[in-house]
Amino acid sequence: MGQIVLDKVTKSFGETQVIPPLDLKIEDGEFAVFVGPSGCGKSTLLRLIAGLEDTTSGKVLIDDEDVTQVSPSKRGLSMVFQTYALYPHMTVRKNIAFPMRMAGMSEQEQEAKIKAAAESLNLTDYLDRKPGQLSGGQRQRVAIGRAIVRDPSAFLFDEPLSNLDAALRVGMRLEITEMHKRMQTTMIYVTHDQVEAMTMADKIVVLQAGVIEQVGSPLDLYHRPQNKFVAGFIGSPKMNLIEGVEAEKQGAHTIGIRPEHVEISTTEGLWQGTVGVAEHLGSDTFVHIHGVPGCDPMTVRAAGEFSVSHGDTVYLTPNLALLHKFDDKGLRIE
Amino acid sequence: MSNRSLPRLLQTPAVILLLIWMLVPLSLTLYFSFIRYVLNNLRRPEWTTPSFSNWRGFGNYEFVLNSKDFLFAIQNSLLIVGSILFCTVIFGVLIAVLINKSFPGQGIVRVLLISPFFVMPAVNAVLWINMILDPVLGLQGLAVNGINDMIAGLRSTPVLGAFFSLWPEFEPISFRATQTSAYAVIIMVTWQWTPFAVLIFMTSLQSEDQQQKEAAILDGAGAWSQFRFLTLPHLGRPIAIVVMIQAIFHLSLYAEIEIVSRGNGNKNLPYLIGEFANNNIGAASATGIFAVILANIVAIFLLRMIGKTLME
Amino acid sequence: MAIVANQTRFGTYGRPVLAWVVALIFFFPIFWLVFTSFKTDADAVKPEHLLFFTPTLDNYLNMTENYDYWRFATNSVITSVFATVFALAVGIPCAYAMAFNPSRATKDVLMWMLSTKMLPAAAVLYPMTFITKSIGLFDTHFMVIVVLMLINLPIVIWMLFTYFKEIPKEIIEAGQMDGVNTWGEIKEILIPLAWGGIASTALLCFIFCWNEAYWTVRLTTTEAATLSKLIEGNRAPEGLFFGRLSAVSAAAVGPIVVLGWFCQKQLVQGLTFGAVK
Repeated sequence: MGQIVLDKVTKSFGETQVIPPLDLKIEDGEFAVFVGPSGCGKSTLLRLIAGLEDTTSGKVLIDDEDVTQVSPSKRGLSMVFQTYALYPHMTVRKNIAFPMRMAGMSEQEQEAKIKAAAESLNLTDYLDRKPGQLSGGQRQRVAIGRAIVRDPSAFLFDEPLSNLDAALRVGMRLEITEMHKRMQTTMIYVTHDQVEAMTMADKIVVLQAGVIEQVGSPLDLYHRPQNKFVAGFIGSPKMNLIEGVEAEKQGAHTIGIRPEHVEISTTEGLWQGTVGVAEHLGSDTFVHIHGVPGCDPMTVRAAGEFSVSHGDTVYLTPNLALLHKFDDKGLRIE
Repeated sequence: MSNRSLPRLLQTPAVILLLIWMLVPLSLTLYFSFIRYVLNNLRRPEWTTPSFSNWRGFGNYEFVLNSKDFLFAIQNSLLIVGSILFCTVIFGVLIAVLINKSFPGQGIVRVLLISPFFVMPAVNAVLWINMILDPVLGLQGLAVNGINDMIAGLRSTPVLGAFFSLWPEFEPISFRATQTSAYAVIIMVTWQWTPFAVLIFMTSLQSEDQQQKEAAILDGAGAWSQFRFLTLPHLGRPIAIVVMIQAIFHLSLYAEIEIVSRGNGNKNLPYLIGEFANNNIGAASATGIFAVILANIVAIFLLRMIGKTLME
Repeated sequence: MAIVANQTRFGTYGRPVLAWVVALIFFFPIFWLVFTSFKTDADAVKPEHLLFFTPTLDNYLNMTENYDYWRFATNSVITSVFATVFALAVGIPCAYAMAFNPSRATKDVLMWMLSTKMLPAAAVLYPMTFITKSIGLFDTHFMVIVVLMLINLPIVIWMLFTYFKEIPKEIIEAGQMDGVNTWGEIKEILIPLAWGGIASTALLCFIFCWNEAYWTVRLTTTEAATLSKLIEGNRAPEGLFFGRLSAVSAAAVGPIVVLGWFCQKQLVQGLTFGAVK
C-alpha cells in the first residue's frame, strides 16, 4: 500500500512562501514524477512528503493516516538522494543492511535480503567495498539497494540521475522504470529533465514557483497542455510559441505548434524564413529558422535527412489540426 | 516543528553552562566594583564582607583611575601587546613566505618552527628569564662576557690593538628591572606566538591563486611586485585575524608577567587586578570591568569578521 | 632571464639554508632546555661546562624527590583528560544541533559562545575565588576540571561545528529515512564520520588544558595543583637549580610539544574559528 495525499499543504521559509496551498493525490502503485525548472519547489515538496521538512500548514496523509507530525524514520518511506548519501564509513553490505539493522531485523533475514538486492542490482561483487571505491552508477545502485530492502510503502527519488553521465543516465532510467513495473510500489520521482518525466511517469506533476501547473499522463501533457508554461516545458525540442498577427488569425493571443508538427519545404508553404542553423542528427534534422513573424527563431523537426544550410530560404506549413491556442492569460483555449 | 525540537534541545546544556559561566562571576565583579570590599581592615571590619550597605557608587572606579599604577598598567599592556603583534606579524609573514615553497626537509622545518607554540607559558617564562636572558648565568651574560674577553685579548695584538682599545666594555642587560622585564616578556611571547602567525599565514598562502601568479609573471612582475601586489593583499585578512586573536590572548597575559616581574614594578592589567585582589576587592573589580571594556573593543571587530565567514 | 636564474639559485640553495637557520633558531631554546637538563646543577652555571660536560640523568631520576613531579603531572593528566571528555560530551550534541538543525538564532548563539572566550579571565578572578571557596571547591580537581572545560568549550564547539558542516546534510537525512533516531544519528553516523575531526579537537583541547596557567595557578594551592602551578612556584631559582629545573620543565612540556606536532593543521582551524582555510 502506498497512497499519498497532500491536503492544503504549504511551506514557508521565514517570510517567503515557497509552496502556496497545494492538494495532490498519488495513487497506490503509481509512478509519479514531479518536474519543473530549478527552484520550482519540487524537491521541497518531496522533502515534505519524506518528513525532512516540516509543513507550515496542511496535512500529509499516507494510506489515509495523518503523518504530518510523524518523524521521517517512522513514515515507512525510502529515499534515494541526488548525491546518493551513502555512508562513506561503511561497506556496501553495511550500507544496505543499515536500515534493517535499525529496524532490528534478524541477521539471517538481513543477509537474505542483501543477497537478493545485490543480485538484482548487480552488486554482488562489490559488497565488501566502501562507497569511495565505486563508480557513480554503482553508488546509485547501492542507494537504491538500501531503499529496496526496507520494503517501503513508497520510494522517493530526488533527482537521482543528475550526477551521472548521459549514457549511464539512460541505462539507469530504464532500470528504475523496470523496477517499478516489477515491484508495483508507489514511486515519486523528482527531476528537472522533461525527458525523464515523459519516459518514466504514469503521472506527471508539472510545478512552477510552488504551484502545480498541470497533472496528467505524459501524453495528456503532450497533447493537451493546460497553459503556455506546460506547453513550453514538455516536449523536445520546445514547442514554438507565436504571438501577434498569426495568432490573432486563429482567434488566440498565443498559438503554439510543436516542431514535429510543421511541414518544411524548400519550395512552398504558409510562412517563409531563412535557415539559421540546421542540426543534422541522422534520424532527424532540427532546423532553426529566422524571419517567421511573431516567433524567432522557429524550430522545425524534419524526419530523416533534410539538406539545407545557413542562409537558405525555406517555407513552413503548420498542421493546423495540432495547433495549440492560448488566451492572454496563457490558458488553453479549446 | 516536532521533528526538529529534540535535536535543537541538544544545544541547551552547552548554552546554559556558558551562560552561567559568563553571567555569574561577571555580575559579582560588577557588584563588587560598586561597593567597598576589602579582605583585611581592622578599623572598618564591616568592609570585609560584601554588602549593599557598603555602596560606594563609582568610588572604586575613581580610585582606580587616579592610581598611578592603573595608567602605567594600561600603557604597559598596550606596549607589550603592540610590540608582540608588530614582531609576530612581521616575522610571521617573512617566515611563511620563506618556507611556503617546498624544499628538502620542509616537514621537519615546520615541526621545529611550530614547537615553541606548545610550550606551556610558565615554562616559557622560566626558561627565558633564567637560562637565556639572565645577565650573569644565562646565555646572554655568558655571551657578553665572551665578547668582552675576546676584545680584551685583541687589545694586546700589535696593529689592531689600538683600534680595539677604543671599544667599550659591554654590559649585559638585566631583564629584571621594571622596564626591561617588559622587553623580556615581549621577547618570550614573540618567540612563542610567531609560530602561530607562521602557521596561519602558511595555510592562507596555500590557497593563493597560482594561476594569478603565473599570469603576473607573464605580465612581467618580478618577485617583489608579486609579493607586494598579490601575496600581501591575499594575506590581509589572515593578518587581521592574527592581530585580533593575539590581542585578545595577550591582553590577558598573566603567567609570563607573574614569573618575570614579581615585585619589580612591571605590570599589566591582569597583574594589577591580581595585586588589588590581595586586599582591595572593590578596586580589583573596577579594574576588571575596565579590562572587559578593553577586550570588548577588540572582540567586536574580531567577531564581526568571523561572523562574515560563518554559515557560508 | 637574469632575474629568473637568480630566483632559481636562491630557490635551490638560499631558501632551504635560510629556512633551516630560522627553524633552528626558533627551536634552540627548547633544545637548550633539554640540553641543560642533562647537566648537574653545578655544571649548569659554569661557563667552562657550557658545551662540554658529563651528562647525567639524575635530574630526571630525582624529579619526584626534588619537586614531587608525578603528583603534579597526575593532576595535569586527570584535569586535562576529564575536562576534554566533558567538553566533548557537551560539545558534540551542541555542534550537531547547530550544524544539522540550524535555526535563525544559531549564528548568534555561536558568536555569543565565542565572545565568552574573549572575556579577560582576570576580570572575574576574585568572584571565582570567592565562589569556589564558599562552596568548598577551592583547590579541588572537580573545580579545575569544570573551569578548564568551560574556558575551552567555545573552541571545542566551534571546531566540531566546522568539521560537522563538512558532512553532507543528505547523509544525516538518509539516516533519518533509514529509521534512526536522534541518538542513532549521532552514534551511528556522525561520530564515525567525523572521527578524525573529533580526535583533533580533543587533542587540541587537551593541549590547551595542559598549558592553562591562569586558573590552574589561581584556583589551586596543593591538592589539585597542576604542572603550570609547579613551574610557576619554582620560577626564581637565581641560578641555583638550573639543571633540575630544566629537567622538570622539559618533562612538563615534552609530551605536549610532541602531541602538538600531530595537530598543527587543526590548530589553524581551531584558533581562527574556521575563518582561515
